[in-house]
Formats: sequence, structure tokens, C-alpha cells
Amino acid sequence: MTQTFAFSSLVPALPELFLTVAALALLMLGVFRKEDGCRQSTLLAIIAMAIALVLTSQLGGSVSYAFGGGEAGLFVMDGFGAFTKAMVLLGSAFTLGMSGTFLEREKIGRFEYPVLVLFATVGMMIMISANDFMSLYLGLELQSLSLYVLAAYHRDNLKATEAGVKYFVLGALASGMLLYGASLLYGFVGTTSFDGLAKVFGAEHAVRPSLGVIIGMVFVLAGLAFKISAVPFHMWAPDVYEGAPTPVTAFFAVAPKIAALALFTRVITGPFGDLAGEWRQVVIFLALASMFLGAFAAIGQTNIKRLMAYSSIGHVGFALVGIAANSVLGIQGLLIYLAIYLFMNTGVFAIILSMRQKGRLVEGIDDLAGLGKTHPAMAFVMMVLMFSMAGIPPLAGFWGKLYVFLAAVESGLMALAILGVLSSVVSAYYYLRIIKVMYFDEALEPFDRQTDRPMRLVMGLSALVVLVFTFIPGPLLVGAKAAAAVLFPAAAG
Amino acid sequence: MDAWLLEYLPILIFLGIAIAISVIAVGASWLVARQKPDTEKGSAYECGFDAFGDARSKFDVRFYLVAILFIIFDLEVAFLFPWAVALGKIGLFGFWSMMVFLGVLTIGFIYEWRKGALEWE
Amino acid sequence: MMYVLAIFLPLLASLVAGLFGRTLGDRGAQIVTCGAVGTSALLSIPIFLTVAMEGHAVTITLLSWIQSGTVDVSWALKFDTLTAVMMIVVTWVSFMVHVYSVGYMSHDPSIPRFMSYLSLFTFAMLMLVTSDNLVQLFFGWEGVGVASYLLIGFWYEKPSACSAAIKAFLVNRVGDFGFALGIFGAYFLFDTVSFDVIFAVAPEKAAATVVFFGHEWHAITIVCLLLFVGAMGKSAQLGLHTWLPDAMEGPTPVSALIHAATMVTAGVFMVARMSPLFEYSATALMVVTVVGAATAFFAATVGCVQNDIKRVIAYSTCSQLGYMFFAIGVSAYQAAIFHLMTHAFFKALLFLGAGSVIHAMSDEQDIRRMGGIWRHVKVTWALMWIGSLALAGIPFFAGYYSKDVILEAAWAAGSPVGQMAYWLGIAAAFMTAFYSWRLLILVFHGKPRADERVMAHVHESPAVMIVPLLVLATGAVFAGWVGYELFVGHEQLHFWAGAIKNLPEHPALENVHHVPGWVALAPTVVAVSGITLAFIFYLVAPVLPGLLAKTFNGVYRFLLNKWYFDELYDVLFVRPAFRLGRGLWKGGDGALIDGVGPDGVAAATRVIAARVARAQSGYLYHYAFAMLIGVAAFVTWYMFNAR
Repeated sequence: MTQTFAFSSLVPALPELFLTVAALALLMLGVFRKEDGCRQSTLLAIIAMAIALVLTSQLGGSVSYAFGGGEAGLFVMDGFGAFTKAMVLLGSAFTLGMSGTFLEREKIGRFEYPVLVLFATVGMMIMISANDFMSLYLGLELQSLSLYVLAAYHRDNLKATEAGVKYFVLGALASGMLLYGASLLYGFVGTTSFDGLAKVFGAEHAVRPSLGVIIGMVFVLAGLAFKISAVPFHMWAPDVYEGAPTPVTAFFAVAPKIAALALFTRVITGPFGDLAGEWRQVVIFLALASMFLGAFAAIGQTNIKRLMAYSSIGHVGFALVGIAANSVLGIQGLLIYLAIYLFMNTGVFAIILSMRQKGRLVEGIDDLAGLGKTHPAMAFVMMVLMFSMAGIPPLAGFWGKLYVFLAAVESGLMALAILGVLSSVVSAYYYLRIIKVMYFDEALEPFDRQTDRPMRLVMGLSALVVLVFTFIPGPLLVGAKAAAAVLFPAAAG
Repeated sequence: MDAWLLEYLPILIFLGIAIAISVIAVGASWLVARQKPDTEKGSAYECGFDAFGDARSKFDVRFYLVAILFIIFDLEVAFLFPWAVALGKIGLFGFWSMMVFLGVLTIGFIYEWRKGALEWE
Repeated sequence: MMYVLAIFLPLLASLVAGLFGRTLGDRGAQIVTCGAVGTSALLSIPIFLTVAMEGHAVTITLLSWIQSGTVDVSWALKFDTLTAVMMIVVTWVSFMVHVYSVGYMSHDPSIPRFMSYLSLFTFAMLMLVTSDNLVQLFFGWEGVGVASYLLIGFWYEKPSACSAAIKAFLVNRVGDFGFALGIFGAYFLFDTVSFDVIFAVAPEKAAATVVFFGHEWHAITIVCLLLFVGAMGKSAQLGLHTWLPDAMEGPTPVSALIHAATMVTAGVFMVARMSPLFEYSATALMVVTVVGAATAFFAATVGCVQNDIKRVIAYSTCSQLGYMFFAIGVSAYQAAIFHLMTHAFFKALLFLGAGSVIHAMSDEQDIRRMGGIWRHVKVTWALMWIGSLALAGIPFFAGYYSKDVILEAAWAAGSPVGQMAYWLGIAAAFMTAFYSWRLLILVFHGKPRADERVMAHVHESPAVMIVPLLVLATGAVFAGWVGYELFVGHEQLHFWAGAIKNLPEHPALENVHHVPGWVALAPTVVAVSGITLAFIFYLVAPVLPGLLAKTFNGVYRFLLNKWYFDELYDVLFVRPAFRLGRGLWKGGDGALIDGVGPDGVAAATRVIAARVARAQSGYLYHYAFAMLIGVAAFVTWYMFNAR
């Protein structure tokens, strides 16, 4: 089976290839330099991501495959991929840009950091473009391994190392489940290709798939649910979010989450597209449990990073509502939700990163007291973001939730939508509490002035996006719709 | 049973034999040998001396490092064998794939060398 | 490009001045905002020439805004003659006020904030006049409302300013509610909110009806009346006018810009814009006429006895808005817009002049404690005279042309309400002249009544305040003469080019040229007699007003207390609302909802939160166990539901 090989067949994977080469080059550059050029490496890594973003934007026009013959190829590039990859790249670049100053101050600024982020980003992009359980696993592991190291990046810090080990062990367990599920599927169906699986399930549409297939699917979904930290596979998230260095937490909360949700979507609409009746119950359960646990557990938190962990669990629940709808509208809602989530979260973490009193890092919610007086601009940004997260109109977060719930209602999941809205009411409690602390509590000790330019840029940008989205939603809506339509060729035609 | 599942029969047989041998080895000693344990027999044997300290003592982290580096290159070689055998069939694509893999590995190797992971002190 | 730039420059300037005010400094903020609005003003001239004079109306679609089901709203800028006229008025008055504020607010500690608000207002107003659909109009409408709220309450440390701001906001809310319902109604009736489509379809729907409360209503009338409620709120018409005099708590440039020249005329503009709809509802037009005429009369009576210089002018504004509305009511939309334009110039002039007086008198606003200062502030004095002459409608000043054409149109409409409007308008014109000269005489002539310290301080304002006044004065003198033929004369059909629609059944404006001579002459006669009376009362025989007030004490008190509108509302709405609110708060909210709802739920929430937190033990094997349990539960679920 000698294959003829043309380099042009690699074009769909060009952004990933470019980023990989860039990461390797950065590694070499860093290791051969005398001084530790964390700042320079960071800058180069961001430039590399920007170039990858440009490359990605050129590729989304049509569906194309790489690494293997035609539709059975390991790697697929389409509008959905381009859209989500763009979000991942943006998220990575933002969080990377925010981390430079922090790392230097904590004296852990080494050039490996941006390289690891780059590798994780490549992994995420491969995940998004996976068209086979093989490439899925490859991307997932590349991403996960980088993230394990990142979680323990502050290696002299007890909490950080604990976070790293916990994440690693549980991640390995989840990977095991995923692999087990994939092998079960392979055992019962005989292929790991998404298209192959979809064809098989589509063909025996009338017949119920065998129990083995279902169990395989459940294991795969469980493995993926771990990556998006959906309840009950969420337990790692609060500990890891709290323990990991804050820039890493910011990174965790944005890019990998988007990538994993994109992967989740691709798996569920691709190979399992015709098994909607089977997986829907699982997804609905995951969504409900995540929304409610995210809402309730966050109330008792005092550490803001832990709070953000629960908040992100809740957000994943809302995003899953869009997936549960299983329609173009639902995926469109999901993508809009993720895009808005990207900006809200980076903004919030920019503020968390600025929480320093006399050079010392603080993470308590109470430390925000009186921010409205001491740092009015920062408090305003935080207030806007919190309102948006709580889903209060007319801020962007409201529209994200609205589109997701609309899709659920349209698909007949009325109860899910109602419960979702209820949980968002509960979650509003702790978002508003932060605002209350900022504006109505007595100031203790003001934070140091934030002088880092990228940080202020991110804060301003996120607040601007959240505020302006209501007026200019057009581009995002259209883009998300086009991207979502790719996954439902039948509905589009 | 599907034909393609039959391809996995050797693995099953291999697994069966491995289990059988280990069961036989342990089981035979348990069946055949005389079982008369006392405190001395049950205690850890350390070259005739009394055991110092706890067996669960901490190792120097460098041992782990060396072990992991060993595993990486061990696996690389394990990967090279099937590639070498199948090289005639997988053609130029297969050849370059492995070259890329080795290139990446080399970069990793250079990194660990520069970082001093290969020096004991 | 020019069009877009003209609209968005003020927004840009507002953002720059608002966000970076601290870095820019006062001077920087002033330069940025004045420069931007000035550029807009300059751009508005070529826009006016292309759109209105050459007749190239354009619509520029910027972005798609809302797309949901059949609702399709986009951000679009519509430029026709009506818009072009409004743009000229808004940008130029705004520019003048910006420049004037540089001088007037020079001692204020937060100049960038003020300039930013002013520019923001300008942007919202431009958005309002250029919108091509009802929703975008509503956006601008609310935008000017917010800017007005912020500016009235600009001196937020003054409780009276705060409460005035809240009052303005709340009263406007009543109007806006009607307006919003009107938009819903229009959407319900036409399935769209776009002006072009609504206007095109309106003739077909002229006879449409809706059944509501078991009665069949004329659909367009309902929509028009609801929209008019919105206009009443914004334009301070009788019933919803109470916020306007209180709004004078804001800085004087604000009063000139927002509460005289531009924002309060938004209602007039909106109704004129919707003329293709109002034309099909005789009832709505009648209501507009009655309300307008009543307001014109009512506000003029109150204006005669007020003592605060700004409040007098505020009631005068209210009254002039009444004129505009009854002009609309008799289908003389062109006359209304004409008056809107001239009024913008001379009323802004009066307000800014009043500001100059207040400035000179060390922030004194009570006209009883002024007098005799004309020698010290000659320029201001001359300009106030010009403004008052224009307001009173003395021949060949701007107000003469526009007010006369309105009154003639009302007479020419030939309907009973038209007649009523004409006579109320004549009465109001008389009073307008009277209170204008009462103000002039009390402020500038006679003996000084202020104490010596203040009098020693009286000084002319700096050039930066006087120059805008001169520009506005030019408008107040010539705007009527220049615009007459175009707006309401023989060229009007060509000029408006369909931006305003008149049905052949409503020929008021055509008939203007055929009214009897005395009808046209009467306004001038009453104006002159009003002036004469004011001279007699306040200069020749100053005892007369006191005597009159004593004799007709009841009437005087009635007028002084503004017909007891505030007291009436207090009894009718405010106090019952308070009582209801307190009842709901104590009984409903406190006992029932809090007890069962938030407090109960909150308690439950806290318990759940504690439970959940305990599950998060920190032990790795607990976490792994939870994951395995999860998978096992899912698998079990499918095992039992397998078939």
C-alpha cells in the first residue's frame, strides 16, 4: 500500500504545523540563550499565534482533510474548526500576554512557559480538527501533558505541585476511560474514523445500536466530560484552579475549555450524530448537574480563583445546553456563548492577576472590598464583567445564555431551559456579591496600581466587547451560524 | 466471530500463556515448598545484616529523571523496529514521518542535554 | 463617509473626553469635544446642500443589529430633508453651546465629564434624527434621555438637582412607555419597524382596525396616539410637562441645548417624521391640536408670573412647543419644523444670554433681585433684546415668520379645533410678548435691586461666551427670512421632496396664503400690545402688578403654583404609589416573599452549598471515586433502559 505523497495535502493542517515548528524553534532558542528570556519568548509565541490565526482564517472556507484518504483522514479542517481555533488562539494569546509580568514577579519566569502554552495550543487545535479517535487522543494528550506541567509550573509551591499531581492522576484516569471507550467502539464497529462510525450508525438507523456501543460511547463521553469539567467529572477543577499559578488558571479557564467543548461537539454531532436519542440524556444530565453545582458550590467560596472554577463549571453547563439541543441553532448558541465567555473570563482573570497588595499576591474575595473607591476603573470593568456573567441584559453574557436557551426551547427541551434559567438566578447571587463587596464594603488596603500595559489592554478590551456586543452582534452571529451549519450538512442542504 | 477479530487471536494466546506461566511459577512454589514461616524467615533479607531504616525511603529525584529518559529512548527504539520492517510498504511518506519524529526527538534530546539533565552532579 | 463621520465624531469625542479626561486635562477635553462637534457642524452644511437643496436623499446601512424571526433591524442612517434640517440645527446649536460652555463652566472642577456628556448627547440626538427605523429612533430617544438625566444631575451634590434629574427621568418614562407600546403597535400592524416600508404600506392599512376590549378601534389612530404619548413626554406637553421647569437645575448651557433647542423638540421631529401615518388618523391629529394649543396657552399663563429667570424661559419653551404641536395637528408639519428651527436659534440665544446674566450677577437667578444692569452688560442686553423680539414674533425677526405661519395655518385649517388653536395661540402670543418684556425690564432696566457687592461685580462675559451668542443672534434675526420660502412658501413641495406627507384633504398650508388680512395681522398686533403692557406695568407704573396680584389673589396663586400640577400629581400618583410601595414592601415583600422566597431559598442554598463544599474533600481518591461512580451510573442507566 505504497502511498503517493504530496505536500499540498498537508495544507489543511498548516496552522498546526507552523505552531509546532515555532514551538520547537522557541525551545531551541531559549535553551541556547545565556539569560532567561521569558519576556522575549512570550512575545515571539504570541506573534506565532497571531500568524497561526491568520493562517487559520484562510482555511475555514471549505471542508478539507489531511493525513489519510479523503473523508477517512485523521484530520479535518472546516468552518467550525476555523471558528473555534480562532477562539482558542485568541484565548491562548490573551492569557499568555497577561502572564509575563506575573511570572517575573513570582520569579518563575522561564522560557519554557510560553513553549508549553504553545504545545498545549497545538494539542487543542489538533483536538478540534480530529476526525478519528486516534488523532483525537493524540491532540488530547499533547494538550493534557502540557497542561499537567503548567499546573505544577511553580514547582517550589506546595499547592501548585499538589494541583499538578491531582490533575495528572485524574487526567490519566479520564484518558484511560476515553481510550477504553474508544477501544470498545472499535471492537464493536471496527473503525475509529469519525466518518466511518457515522456511516455505520447512520446505516443501522432503524436498529438500536448494541449495548457495547452505547457503553463505549458513555466512556468516551465521560473522558471528554472530564476535560470540560462537567459534573460529576469536575472534582479536579476547583483544586487545580486554586493551586495553579494564576496565569495558568486563566489559561485553563479559557482555551482548553473552548477546545474541549468544541471537541465534545464534534464527537457528538459527527460519529454519534445519529445516536442523538442515546446521548441526549447523558448530556442533559451533565448540563443540569453542572449548572446547579456550579451555582450552589460557588456561593460558599472565599477564594476568587476557586470561585471562578465553580463559575466555569456552571458556564460549561450552559454551553452543554446548546449541545443538548442538537441543532444548528444550538451549536450556534454554544459558539456565541463560548466567544463571549472567552472575553469575560480573560477580563476577570486580568483583574485577579492585578490583585496585589504591596507586591504580595492576594486571592480572597474580601480583598476586593472597597475597590470601587480605590480603583474605580478596575472596579467598573469587574462590575460589567460580573453582570455579564450573571447574564443581566443588555450585556453580552445575557445574549449568550439567551441563544442557548432559545435553541433548547426550539428543540423541545423546555424543562431544561427553565431549570437552566433558575440556576442562573442562583448563580447571580455570588456574582452580585462580588459587586457588593467592591462597592459597598469598606476598603482595607488598596491594590497596587496596575501598570502592565497588556493587562490593561485586556481589561479594557473585554469590558468593551461585553458592552458593545449588544449593539453590534452581527459579525459574531453570522460567523457562529456558518460554523455551526458545517456540522449539520443535512440541515443546511 | 468476525474475521478481523480473528487477527487478534495471537494476542489472546500470548496473554493466556503469560498468565499461565506466572500462575504456574508462583503456584508451584506454594504447592511444592514446605511452608513453615517464623519471624526470621518472614523478615526482610538484606545480605545477612539487620535491615536499616524503612524500605519506603525517598530516592534522589535524579533516579526518576534517568529512568524516564531511558523509557523515552527505549520506546523510540521499540517504535523503530516495526517501522524498519514495514519501510518497504509505507514508502516515502512513512520514511519522512519517522524522520520528523526523530527530528522532534532530537530537539528534545538537545534540550535535556543543555538543561543538564544528563549530568549527575 | 462624510455622513457617517458627522454622526460618529461626537461619540468618539465623548468617549475620548470621558475615558481619558484625566490625562487630557480640561483644556484637552474642551478642544477634543469642540473640535469634533465643530467638524460635525461644518459637515452638516454640505450634507444639507446635497440632501435638501439638490434633493439627493440617501440611506446608509451600517450594520445588521437584530435578526430574530421576522424582526430585522439594522443600524442605518437615513438622510432626507427633514434629517438635514435637524442636523443643521442640532450640530450648530450644539457647537455653539460647546464653545459657550468653555467659558461658562471654566470654574467647574469636572470639565471633561461635562464636555463628554454634551458630546454624548449630541451623538444620541444625531442618532435620533438620522434613524431609519423605529427601534433605532428609540435608541437615540433613550440616549438623549440618559444624557439629559446625567446633565440635569450634573451637580450631583445638590439634592434639588438630583431630584430634578430623577423627576425628568421618571416623567419621561411614562412617555417612553407609550412610545414603546406605539412601536409594538406599529410592528403588529405593519410587520416591520422600518420607516420606508411603514410609509409605503400606510395607505393600504388606512382602514385597518383592531378589536380590543370588545370594541373595534381604528388601528392607525391607536398607534399614532401611543407614539404621541411618547412625544408628549419628551416635548413636555401638558400633563407630562412637569419635569421641564425642574430640569433648569442643570447648568445653563444644558438648558439651552437640551431643554430648549434640541431634545425637547425630538417629539415634534418624531411626529413630523411619522407624518405619513398621522395623516391617516383624523382623531390623532385632533388630539395633537388640542394638546398643543392647551400647552401653548397654559405655559404662557404660568410664564407671566414666574420669578426665576430660567423658569420663565423654560415655560416659554413649553409654550412654543405647544405651537409646534398644534401646527402638526392641523397638518402644517412644515410650519412646525420651521418654527422648530427658528425657535432653536432664538431660544438657545435667550438661554445662553440668561446664562450670561446669571454669570454676571454672581449666580443670582431671581429676576426680582436684578435690574438696571444694561449699562454694564451692553452686548448681552442687546442680544437678549434680539432674542425676545424674535420670540415675540415682531416683524422680520425669525419668530415672526414661523409663528405667523403656524397661526395662519391653524385658522386656515377651517376646523373647530383649528379655530380654537388659533385663538388660544393669539392669547399665548400676547402673553409671550408680555412676559418676555417683563423679564427684560426687570433684569436690565429700572433701578438696581441687587446689593452693592453683587452690582460691583457685574461684568460682561468673556469673548468665548459672547461669540456663540452672536452666531445664534444672527440665526435669530435671519433664519425666518431666509427659510420662509423654502420651508413653508411656494418652494416647500420641492424642498421637502416627500420627507413630509400631506393628504389633499388637509390643505392648511396651502390655504395660508389665502387667509383674510386681519388673521395675519393679529399676532403682530397682540405682540406689540403685550410689549406695551409690560412697559406700563414694570417701567411706567410699577405699582400696578402688585395691585393686580392682590386683587386677583386666587388667580395669581393659581398661576404662581403652575396650576397646581405638581401638587395634583403628588396627591394622585406619588403618595398612593408610596403607600402602595410601603404596603407591598412591609406586607408582601417582607413577610410573604422574603420569608418564603429569598430568605427561605437563601437558607436552603447555604445548606446545599455547605454540603457540596464538603464533597470537595481534597482527597484524590474521593475525586477518582466520584468519576467512577458517575460512569457506573451512566452505564447502569443504559443497561436498564437498554430495551
